[in-house]
Amino acid sequence: MTATNGSMLETSIPTAPLESILCKEALQSRPSRSPDFEKENRALVKLVSALADSPSTIFQTLADTILEITQADSAGLSLLTKDGETPHMDGQRFYWPAIAGMWQLHVGGGTPRNFGPCGDVLDRDRTLLFTHWERRYPYLSSAVPFAEEGLLVPFYVDGKAVGTIWGIMHSAHRKFDAEDDRVMASLGKFASSAYQALMRIEDLKIQVSEREKAEAEVRKLASGLESKIRRLVEADVVGIVMWNPDGVITEANESFLHMVQYDRHDLTSGRVRWTDLTPFEWRECDYWAIAQLKKTGAFLPYEKEFFRKDGSRVPILLGGALFDGSGADGVAFVLDLSKQKRAQEELRRSEAFLAEAQRLTHIGSYSWRVATDEIKWSEQLYRIYEFETGVPITLELIRTRVHPEDVTLIEKMVEQAKNRLDDFEWQYRLLMPDHSTKYLHAVAHVTRDRGGQLEYIAAVQDVTARRLAEEARDQARSELARVARAVTLGTMTASIAHELNQPLSGIVTNAGTCQRMLGAVPPNVDGALETARRTIRDANRASEVIARLRALFSRKEIATESVDLNEATREVIALSLSELRRNEIVLKADLADDLAPVTGDRIQLQEVILNLLHNATDAMSAVHDRPRELLIRTEVDQGKQVRLSLKDSGVGFAPQDADKMFAAFHTTKPEGMGIGLSISRSIIEAHQGRLWAAGNEGAGATFSFSIPCRQKGLAHSAIPIDRADPPADAA
Amino acid sequence: MDVAPTMSHCFAMESSKDKGKCQHLSVVVDDDESVRESLPDLLREFGFAARAFSSAREFLLSGCVDETRCLILDIAMPDMSGPELQQELKRLGREIPIIFITGQKDEVIRAQVLQRGAAAFLLKPFSDADLLAAIKTALQAI
Repeated sequence: MTATNGSMLETSIPTAPLESILCKEALQSRPSRSPDFEKENRALVKLVSALADSPSTIFQTLADTILEITQADSAGLSLLTKDGETPHMDGQRFYWPAIAGMWQLHVGGGTPRNFGPCGDVLDRDRTLLFTHWERRYPYLSSAVPFAEEGLLVPFYVDGKAVGTIWGIMHSAHRKFDAEDDRVMASLGKFASSAYQALMRIEDLKIQVSEREKAEAEVRKLASGLESKIRRLVEADVVGIVMWNPDGVITEANESFLHMVQYDRHDLTSGRVRWTDLTPFEWRECDYWAIAQLKKTGAFLPYEKEFFRKDGSRVPILLGGALFDGSGADGVAFVLDLSKQKRAQEELRRSEAFLAEAQRLTHIGSYSWRVATDEIKWSEQLYRIYEFETGVPITLELIRTRVHPEDVTLIEKMVEQAKNRLDDFEWQYRLLMPDHSTKYLHAVAHVTRDRGGQLEYIAAVQDVTARRLAEEARDQARSELARVARAVTLGTMTASIAHELNQPLSGIVTNAGTCQRMLGAVPPNVDGALETARRTIRDANRASEVIARLRALFSRKEIATESVDLNEATREVIALSLSELRRNEIVLKADLADDLAPVTGDRIQLQEVILNLLHNATDAMSAVHDRPRELLIRTEVDQGKQVRLSLKDSGVGFAPQDADKMFAAFHTTKPEGMGIGLSISRSIIEAHQGRLWAAGNEGAGATFSFSIPCRQKGLAHSAIPIDRADPPADAA
Repeated sequence: MDVAPTMSHCFAMESSKDKGKCQHLSVVVDDDESVRESLPDLLREFGFAARAFSSAREFLLSGCVDETRCLILDIAMPDMSGPELQQELKRLGREIPIIFITGQKDEVIRAQVLQRGAAAFLLKPFSDADLLAAIKTALQAI
């Protein structure tokens, strides 16, 4: 029934002006009753008690007190509010938190700030006495019983008027006077202070409860955090220890205990100290950590070792901090590095293996980042180049070692590598400070490194030894060929004889001529002189031949040994491979597995094989319309002989030349002496064998020789030829 | 050593009469220079007219084949060997007495050339007397 929505009511009744409802002079002019201080005191006591007992009812107590003292019909309190329930000084409405007397049922109602009696009081900031306010404020007509008179006193909080204290007379039996005004103001003041105190208490209560709530949150958080950290402490991932200022480990988790193999009993008895755990050589690191602790309250993780209870060591990583504030209690984590150390050791070992392998095989390695010319060498490569390990490597530095004849080669290689970005392989030489030459073979592979940059990874092998061996082999080969061409045995002797015979016969003839010339009548002295000159010349020529032959003989060694013809053949093949390749000859070797050995001179037999091979090569040199094929076969012939045959696809020979070929001085080659086959036959015959030739069904010829197998006894195995002396009848 | 007067006389007289280049020649064919140097002198001491050629072909192309009364022939020569010249001359129908000279003893060849009609086979070095005896044999065989 009371207008509570705060809006101005539209009325059809014109509202009376304010002046018409105010009794301005009435309070001053009316006779005022005497103050009843006792009553007032009693009222104050009541208020105080009310405050102490139940603070929330102070307004009601105030209203009751006012009612009693002023003997009004109704009394109450109006307070500004925003929400209609709680006091707020910016409010646009007044609400009635407490009412005593006849209007009690209107409690909770209120009036608008801008159109109502309380508003008027606050506007003027003074007590006002109203009469029949419903005349101006029609909405108050629903607040019954009507107010014959209403006395409104401003109510201050913190120096600001936030409402009113009012009393109402509903009939004219009593009228308000100045004393009422005074008492209401006085009680109002007291109530205001009490109210403010209450408000502060409320605030405090709120603050306290907020803080309690916050603390509860923190406690909850803390307990949550604690359990999380506990999780870490209990999980077996890292050791956690706490220590006291004496350096004793006071607490530790299972992980730590397990790491150092102490048990909880050792810990609780206070026996485990930092100093017990740390080997002597690590103490210095500890001092540094302690200094850090003192300075910053924490120390950065560092590696060291702990002693286990049994004295063995464990590598660890240690980091920690002091607890806040006071002393030297702290907490640290301890990480077991055993696995890492093992892995590191494995890595180090495999790197050492690699380095060792490189050293053993004389293979060095390098990486070359093409864009920046950044080059990294392995230790072995430094060794190969004979540079001091670790010297920065540049292309210029490498060039200083490269053999002058290969420098253009290296330039070409570098350019190609940069442009083509493809795997490559090349061989080159180094010229070392001591003027020796090294042969190198490099193989490079292009790749992208982790950053996506193009990089060559290469292996370089020092193949000098191999090359020198190849050269020695080539030299041995040409020596062998030369020896093959040189005459041997009987034919050699024949050649000796031949070589000497020329000058010797010259001497004999000229000597005879000389005698006849001198014996003529008259003596032919001039002619004799000429013959004498020739004689001397020929004698000199003879000595030259002998000297040469002596030199040739001195290299010869006599050999009678067990010879594996397969082995001998393989060696000859190996020496001839490049020549065969050059002549585009396809070689097939069909060497019997169970070939028995023969007795003889290995070098001589190899000369024969080489001679046959050369002849076959020559026979095929004019062949262009069919493949040049050479088949070498060894086999055992009827269990007693070893046979070797060479089949070619060459020009072959006429049947009538079959024997002639083996004759001395027969040759089809313009520069040949034609002694190859005759020598070969002599050698084979000296080995109690025979050498022959046959035409193939298709093209070419097959040359074969057979030699008796080696006898276990010695009776027939010796070769009865003494090379050193020429046969007596050759001269 | 004495020279048989009849023979030398006969040849010497004939050679001094004749001014022609090739007349009743004794020819030496040998690829060895020292032989070509020394033998003609010896032959001349014997009283013969003598010429020397370095190869069988040279001799065949020389135009002296008809006048050659006696041929002293090396066995081992490049191109055409001594025995091959022997056969060539036979083929041409020239019956010239041949004395083979050689540094190498080879029974097979010896037998071969003698069987084919060689007058003699001498091993180098041979004495002048041996040569003369061989020439004698050769000329008597005609």
